[in-house]
Amino acid sequence: MNQILQQLINGFSIGSVYALMAVGYSLVYSIMNFSNFAHGGVIMLGAYFGFFFITLFKMPFWVAFIGAGICSMLVAVLVERMAYKPLRARNAPFLYFMISAMGASMFIENFVIATIGPTFRTYPQIFPAEPFSLGGIYVGRLDMMMFLISAVSLIALVYFIECTKLGKAIQATAFNPRASALMGINTDSVILTVFGLGGFLAGIAGVLFGMKYTVYPQIGFITIKSFIAAVFGGLGSLPGAVIGSFILGIVETMVSGYIMSQYRDLISFSLLILILVFKPMGLMGKSVEDKA
Amino acid sequence: MQKRLIIFLVLLLTATVFAAGCSNQGQGPAGGDVVKIGWIGSLTGDTAVWGQSELNTLELLAGELNASGGLLGKKIHIVGYDTRGDATEAVNAVKRLVSQDKVVAIIGPNASSSAMAISGTLEEMKVPDIATVATNPKVTVMDGKVKPFNFRVCFIDPYQGAVAAGYAFDVLGFRKAAVLYDVADEYSQGLAEFFIKTFEEKGGQIVAKEAFKSGDTDFRPQLAKIKATNPEVIFMPYYFKEAALSAKQARDLGIKSVLMGGDGWPSDTLLEMAGDAVEGSYFVNHLDFDDPEVQDFKQRYNAKYGKMPELNGYLAHDAFMVLVDAVKRANSFDPVAIRDALETVDIEGITGKIKIGKDTHNPEGKEAAIIKIEGGKYKFQQKYAVTD
Amino acid sequence: MNWFYIEGVLILAGINIIAVLGLSLLTGFTGLFSFGHAGFMAIGAYSAVYFGERMGLPFAVSVVAGGLVAGLVSLFIGRLTLKLKGDYFCIATLGFGEAIRLVLDNVQVFGGARGWPGIPLKVDLVTVTIFNIVGILFLMFLINSRHGRSMIAVREEELAAKVIGIDTYRYKVISLFISAVYAGIAGGLLGYYLTFLQPKLFGLQKSTEYTIMVIFGGIGSISGSVLAAFILTVLPEMLRSFAVWRFVIYGAAVIFIMIARPQGLMGGKEITLKGIAGILGIPGRNRKTARSGEV
Repeated sequence: MNQILQQLINGFSIGSVYALMAVGYSLVYSIMNFSNFAHGGVIMLGAYFGFFFITLFKMPFWVAFIGAGICSMLVAVLVERMAYKPLRARNAPFLYFMISAMGASMFIENFVIATIGPTFRTYPQIFPAEPFSLGGIYVGRLDMMMFLISAVSLIALVYFIECTKLGKAIQATAFNPRASALMGINTDSVILTVFGLGGFLAGIAGVLFGMKYTVYPQIGFITIKSFIAAVFGGLGSLPGAVIGSFILGIVETMVSGYIMSQYRDLISFSLLILILVFKPMGLMGKSVEDKA
Repeated sequence: MQKRLIIFLVLLLTATVFAAGCSNQGQGPAGGDVVKIGWIGSLTGDTAVWGQSELNTLELLAGELNASGGLLGKKIHIVGYDTRGDATEAVNAVKRLVSQDKVVAIIGPNASSSAMAISGTLEEMKVPDIATVATNPKVTVMDGKVKPFNFRVCFIDPYQGAVAAGYAFDVLGFRKAAVLYDVADEYSQGLAEFFIKTFEEKGGQIVAKEAFKSGDTDFRPQLAKIKATNPEVIFMPYYFKEAALSAKQARDLGIKSVLMGGDGWPSDTLLEMAGDAVEGSYFVNHLDFDDPEVQDFKQRYNAKYGKMPELNGYLAHDAFMVLVDAVKRANSFDPVAIRDALETVDIEGITGKIKIGKDTHNPEGKEAAIIKIEGGKYKFQQKYAVTD
Repeated sequence: MNWFYIEGVLILAGINIIAVLGLSLLTGFTGLFSFGHAGFMAIGAYSAVYFGERMGLPFAVSVVAGGLVAGLVSLFIGRLTLKLKGDYFCIATLGFGEAIRLVLDNVQVFGGARGWPGIPLKVDLVTVTIFNIVGILFLMFLINSRHGRSMIAVREEELAAKVIGIDTYRYKVISLFISAVYAGIAGGLLGYYLTFLQPKLFGLQKSTEYTIMVIFGGIGSISGSVLAAFILTVLPEMLRSFAVWRFVIYGAAVIFIMIARPQGLMGGKEITLKGIAGILGIPGRNRKTARSGEV
């Protein structure tokens, strides 16, 4: 019994890591309808920003945390301007965006290897290391912190999207870009906002990852899991991304813990296919038919 | 638009040709008094840390050798190519090294897969290769036959697995072991297999064998499962990044078992990352870090690059020493003569005595060092060799 | 430059051309985007080497049989995933590719993650060239047939294609099948060229590279795909002296190409003798049809 509870907690904690990545990714998807493969690169940069702010510039943690978010926001916006805007200007199909995104992600990763180097870097200890223990079940402090921060930022994001004018504009653009442009919404600034928000989330996610898993140029690779989680939940849907992440986290944990860790990804993949076969738009995906 | 593309391609081409020209000029007059030694390994990709340490070491040593008069009166130039850890790239890089750069020997790569894939090319062009940390037995011996141009300076997986299992069973007295390994990594799979084999042969019990996949950062599901089987020791045969993360997560889950690892562990980064989590752990190493010769090399490396060498640096150091010895005794830069001399190398390297076996091309009877982590430091325990 | 090295790069380019041709059919002619083609390649490679080395089939037969095994697997995968759209299909293939790799990592008969060394070298430039010529001719024949035109219709206007009675699903299955066979054959050739196989060779990175090649060549152009596969195999080799900066430049080049010429090198057109004559200014009888008559 204890073990099941422990595994559930593990699954939740892994899921909250995926969720933090999946939301930024899904946000961009909801507007642009393409998988932003450069998201992992921005997360990695966020981890480096945070690391250097804390170790080199001796900033207090929360300042570095927000600072990393802001810097990543700028990077994401820059990527949008350099790699996507010219494509947008000529209405290129989503394939080109994806290729451009892959180029960007390759560029960012190797740029970091070439300049900062491939060495693993460790964040200084910020939260106490010893876990909470409740009757034989252990919960890491950093995990709880991550869960809280994810929850707070997600709530803030939902508030922003539901209750502000700009948020409403994002929703409108996601629903129908052409109509919303006709209604006087500046699509370009909406897209910039979305990339900025996505970048900010990526940045703080990067800092949290860096603290948990150390910083290295390939850390953005875990975003693949969050892509899958977002598809689980339904692309373009924020609640879907969160729910998909938790499901994926728990499924992976349960497979590793009770079936066979050797075949974990095979089983998660089969489950993904099953979900897509029975619910082709994911669990909560917006059911938009491609222009067929 | 088309114009911009053309301009870009032209620029790229010019830059490429320019770079190629530069690198040729940098090497001075070919032939003449410069001799090229090749290196392949990962400068990018997820094993870049180890590859860069190897190339740095070789450049350091070549520089020192050149400053003290060179080798057989010639200057050494190291030509290093990146493989990203990919076997296809390794084949391309070796083809370029042997045919275009005309190197006399190659050092590296730091992956068994690349080392196995390049054998054919080496044999075709008759250039010897000394692998640094390619630990798969099949790198040098295939189907009972030794590969004529493949050598190495590290010990092999079965040996290291046997050392770890033997030490855990005989010296530390453990009877119940769990294994966590990286299913997508060749090194990890090899070590895990041979650890289990020896441990079970000795009469020990493997209570759990769990896997993760390269790139994973969370091991708690597997560790929680391992915890339930209550092992005395957990064998973790993978590189230090994963080792540190899994050790930390194991302690977070309240696992008190002793942790044990292989030669993927030693690095200053491990201690920095894992802190208290690896306290009291053991691992199999190639050398004793407190050895004066090792210290001396560390200082020289640190003075030049401002950081400490990773384990691969020490092995690249010895590969270079082995090569220098072979060249001196062959008294020639002819690759085949070097190959012949490599078969009879018997030197004292910083990772121990290296006596290349004629039938295996492995360093024979190289003892492993057992290191314990105590008070946040690496404490040498003993040299440990398996006798069978 | 030395021939030995150039030959190696050319063989590799030839192998990549085969894989890209297949992917080009799928992406270029049906508009589907796959991140799992390295998975099909892996299946082809391992089955080909198994047929050739364990069952003793002749080289060419085992490579083609390996391709067919990859094709068969694609029928199964296609049945499940081809109904999905755009990114969903793409992520599904990504998951599939990773899953194949994971299975191979665990299959100890084939060496698991430690790889399968000691495969005899059976691929040289001539073999690869023959496979390339056959591959290109077959694809040209297919595309210019009724079936090929139907596939293009699926890419251009799926709904309209449905309306005029084209079984779009069937054509998607066929094009996935053929592209998987091509990928499988490329895998077999790679195995017999490298003399070594390892699941790690067929990672996401490989699938990505092929997709980049297809887009770079221009969607829906055979000669574009051939050219792109060739250029993008040679480019990293030319950049080899840049060491760590190599893939920084490569990444920047990919972005730049997408921005500067999103229709790709050939932009859906083909290189033809008449077309070349037209560019060189040699008066042809009807230059315009020569350049747009293809595809």
